[in-house]
Amino acid sequence: MTDCGCDKAKAELEEYLHRELSDGDFQDISEHLATCQDCSDEHLIGLTITEKVRKACQEKAPEELRSAVLGRLSQISS
Amino acid sequence: MKEGILTTQAIAPDRSSLSDLELALMTETIEPADPRALFEEQAIPYMDQLYAAAMRLTRNPSDAADLVQETFIKAFQAFGQFQQGTNLKAWLYRIQTNTFINNYRKNQRNPYQGTIDDLEDWQLGNAESVTQSTSTRSAEVEAIDHLPDSDVKAALQSIPEDFRMAVYFADVEGFSYQEIADIMKTPVGTVMSRLHRGRRMLRDLLADYARERGIVAKPAATRQKVTRSTK
Repeated sequence: MTDCGCDKAKAELEEYLHRELSDGDFQDISEHLATCQDCSDEHLIGLTITEKVRKACQEKAPEELRSAVLGRLSQISS
Repeated sequence: MKEGILTTQAIAPDRSSLSDLELALMTETIEPADPRALFEEQAIPYMDQLYAAAMRLTRNPSDAADLVQETFIKAFQAFGQFQQGTNLKAWLYRIQTNTFINNYRKNQRNPYQGTIDDLEDWQLGNAESVTQSTSTRSAEVEAIDHLPDSDVKAALQSIPEDFRMAVYFADVEGFSYQEIADIMKTPVGTVMSRLHRGRRMLRDLLADYARERGIVAKPAATRQKVTRSTK
């Protein structure tokens, strides 16, 4: 049975996405993705989810919270 | 080591050969940096991020604000123990996570609490091995991409807390698996499992949302639905 690299790639895509692989493994997966449409589509879904989550979670702390915290800090340290 | 040892004749350097800077560093008269100024300069800039994470944890703005405030107070009081040069953001998140667990989690209804890592995938309703053609994959990317932020947040809010926070730490904050393990006080293997299952659930939920909004062309029957919490 020949290994086309898909099994390894699919198993490690998430670690690839999060940059948790060794340099060697990272390069293996990069090379595989460059030639395999199926795996690179799968990777694109992973990337899209990460990007959507990141974008959705950009709340700003309310100004009242900021002044409340700074007020408490000066209270404590005085 | 006793302080006195450092000043004995044997190891005291010849002062005449030292630069002004070195001499200045040796003297005791330098004002220690004002801890509050240092804290405000270094820690306060993380408030937006801590607040966003607190929103994921508490799921409402008022509890999130309380949690962040308490986190900063505790962090300030413990700031002397923070080792300069190490990861301050991760240190703040550790404090926030502990504070949440101690003060807030017990007040929240969390049906999965404590046992979630032990659940099998089938109990979570995951469909792990889904065969998809390339065309449905690119349709899925497009559909997810078109979802509004509110849907993404709703999907995040409806997955179990430990999964949600692992995803938050990895995908929003870009922490390494080891840093997440330290923040969540759990082995790296558990972090990987939470991330994997959390992202799988998110993906299924986002596909559901997209279908409900009529954005997607993916056939419903190919995928097992993740039960969507209404709360």
